Amino acid sequence: MWLHLNFNFSFNSSFVRKSLQRLPLFVVGLALFASFNTVSASQNGLGPEITIPESSGESCVLPSEQMRREHPDILKHDRIQTLREGLRAKADGSTLDGSLKQCVNCHAVKDESNKFVRIDNDQHFCVSCHKYAAVSIDCFQCHRDIPEGSGDFHALTNHKNINYSNVVPGTYNLTIKDMANIAPEVNSDDN
Amino acid sequence: MKKLHFLEVEGNSKGFYAFFALFGLISLIGMLAAYYMEHNGHWVTGMNNQIVWGTPHVFAIFLIVAASGALNVASISSVFAKTAYKPLARLSGMLAMALLSGGLVVLLLDLGRPDRLIVAMTKFNFVSIFTWNILLYTGFMGIVGVYLWTMMDRPYNNLTKKAGMAAFIWRLILTTGTGSIFGFLIAREAYDSALLAPMFIIMSFSFGLAFFLLVLMGSYKYTQRDLGDYIVNRLKNLLGVFVAAVFYFVVVYHLTNLYSADHRDITLFILTGGGLYTFLFWVVQIALGSLLPLVLLYGPTGKNRTMIGLACALIILGGFAQLYVIIIGGQAYPMHLFPGMEVTSSFYDGVVASYTPSLPEFLLGMGGVGITLLLVTVAVAAMKFLPASLADEVANPHSK
Amino acid sequence: MTINIDNKNNDETTTDSASKEMESSRRNFIFGSVAAAGLTVAPGIMLYQTANARSLSDFSLKEGASSKVRWGMLVDTTKEVDWNKCVDACNKEHGLGNETNSRDEQKTQYIRVVEVKNKGTGYSMSLPVMCQHCESAPCVDVCPTGASMKRADGIVLVDRHRCIGCRYCMMACPYKARSFVHEVLTDQTENTPRGKGCVESCNMCVNRIDNGQEPACVEASDGAIIFGDLNDSESSISKILAKHGGKQIRADLKLNPGVFYQGI
Repeated sequence: MWLHLNFNFSFNSSFVRKSLQRLPLFVVGLALFASFNTVSASQNGLGPEITIPESSGESCVLPSEQMRREHPDILKHDRIQTLREGLRAKADGSTLDGSLKQCVNCHAVKDESNKFVRIDNDQHFCVSCHKYAAVSIDCFQCHRDIPEGSGDFHALTNHKNINYSNVVPGTYNLTIKDMANIAPEVNSDDN
Repeated sequence: MKKLHFLEVEGNSKGFYAFFALFGLISLIGMLAAYYMEHNGHWVTGMNNQIVWGTPHVFAIFLIVAASGALNVASISSVFAKTAYKPLARLSGMLAMALLSGGLVVLLLDLGRPDRLIVAMTKFNFVSIFTWNILLYTGFMGIVGVYLWTMMDRPYNNLTKKAGMAAFIWRLILTTGTGSIFGFLIAREAYDSALLAPMFIIMSFSFGLAFFLLVLMGSYKYTQRDLGDYIVNRLKNLLGVFVAAVFYFVVVYHLTNLYSADHRDITLFILTGGGLYTFLFWVVQIALGSLLPLVLLYGPTGKNRTMIGLACALIILGGFAQLYVIIIGGQAYPMHLFPGMEVTSSFYDGVVASYTPSLPEFLLGMGGVGITLLLVTVAVAAMKFLPASLADEVANPHSK
Repeated sequence: MTINIDNKNNDETTTDSASKEMESSRRNFIFGSVAAAGLTVAPGIMLYQTANARSLSDFSLKEGASSKVRWGMLVDTTKEVDWNKCVDACNKEHGLGNETNSRDEQKTQYIRVVEVKNKGTGYSMSLPVMCQHCESAPCVDVCPTGASMKRADGIVLVDRHRCIGCRYCMMACPYKARSFVHEVLTDQTENTPRGKGCVESCNMCVNRIDNGQEPACVEASDGAIIFGDLNDSESSISKILAKHGGKQIRADLKLNPGVFYQGI
């Protein structure tokens, strides 16, 4: 009964077959295209510029280098604690406040008319870097993107006298290597 | 009996391209509709805080239920050893996977956050029947995939029976799970019934076989292959039994609900005072979707292919109506915050919720159907799913 | 090049400073970019001080929601109170009502005023209904991802980081307490993040409770809603419940809500 039963994956449709045959070529082409774009970005003066905005407040909860690398983990750690366990940083400064609210309060950027820029603006602190690195975040689909009210941030009481800042705000041209050094180690899913 | 011979459908043909383009277009429109809904948010749909599951869910659940039912033919062949169904087993398994894919795409794209699919696949709450459904769906894909493999790869043919048995058991659990999505909702009187799970199983038999028969007759017609009366008559007689069984369950379901006082209001709402839902129930589900197909299948027109096709289409239409009444009608009827009291509020307590399906919702649902048929079209051209001929002398094991 | 650090966590972190040093040299991004881009960086603040390095544990707090506590509310519907004041307070607290496109039946309501009328006797009353914070919450049971959750102290809320917007919890809730965000939102309040595609509901103002305040509706109710710990027999809510009793809505479902009512 099973006369003609060889299991071959032959496409009778030339359209489907040709598309599949050309798939590797397409992928290689896409990769080449992408690499050219990146290469040009890495040359000084040619690539996109990144502007590191000024922040109010004297210092961040951790040194900048550590923040650059670890902020995803810190935010995630804090959000789980806050939301699911009800652990919140106390105003007395006995613990570090890693809440996104606090981030926004310090790092909100004002535009020429002295108004806070929102998340759709490239000058927004988070956007300035995330757009450059092409890493999309959905935090601000729910979270407020600028400080509430006047925007007077609540002082970071537990490290008033530290000056961690070692990046002068300004506009830079970064190389791929620089970016690789800054990029956070994301080791968990984005959600 | 002549030898059975499987052959791909000629892909380099006008017919293939025409169907590929048609179903591709329907799928594409569905995807665009989904993008529109997701980009704007669900305010562009007819859904609201009262009717939280709308038309996409009707389509998605229909396709998922039909997927399980489409596997029936293969199960009868492998598990119950009816050789007459053996030539159809491959199409049956493949169609089941295609229907499930179409249904899941619709379900996924109607989520508030479809971009978080990864969350649904990594963070499980095992108390939730929804979680179990996610596992049942992926498991179904895997098991039916293996089942198909054992059918199509000769060295592994001896495993077909075992794989078929696993797939058969899995699909029963799967449809029980799908029915239980509603059955586990204690607060909604429309769904608060243990009868829903078995009713979903018998619905899957009916919808799945109707879809299967349409695909079978369609593909044989458009590829000019022989499809004998022997196989068609067996399938349509079986389909008639399933339709009657669904009808029976519907009658029992509503009768028991009428008998218990706390479910009487919702049942009377569906049966008499529900406007569109009452119309859909009596006219589309019962008259067009159950009684007329029975007449068409068992009456004097029983051997007429057009009439059989019409009956299948009506059964599918009736199935959509049935799910629309269950899913949307069940939500529209207000929950009793204070039983026996008259309740009003700004949040539409105590009133029948309004819902008007929007075009994007419908297009998304149709997109799921399109994806299913697109997958079927490509699959029959790519691999040997369809016998070259199902003429009576091939298909009938008793023919000489 | 020393930096004076007033950091109480210093002692704990110096123990693993050796390993941190290895890490930090690799991470000395600014040094690299200075060389590459030729930036001017003020002297003395370029190098990374390993002693500063702190880990996630410094963010870990000691006390969170405890299962010894079960927060609850008691609503006295016999008091002459304009319940809409509670609704307004809630909307203000959580920044609700900022939808611009949604139809009325699509807009979020955490708390609503329900009018109940007995057709037979003609008696009518009104009461505020919000999430009832059930002990056996159906929304928590049905949620496929665990986004719908109950805190140790009995507060039921949605973890929007995990919510995929399937709306099964809305199907399951007997109180219709939940809403789905149907559109893109902007200008949320900082304490209540909320956005498109997620389900949301009354969270008993967790942010206020964790801060030692009462929920916004309680504050606005002129004493008609009492908030407190149901597990503590000495709390005023427990005492009143013990003395005068209170009913739960749809108690027949045996979900044991944390919100009690008098006069229903």
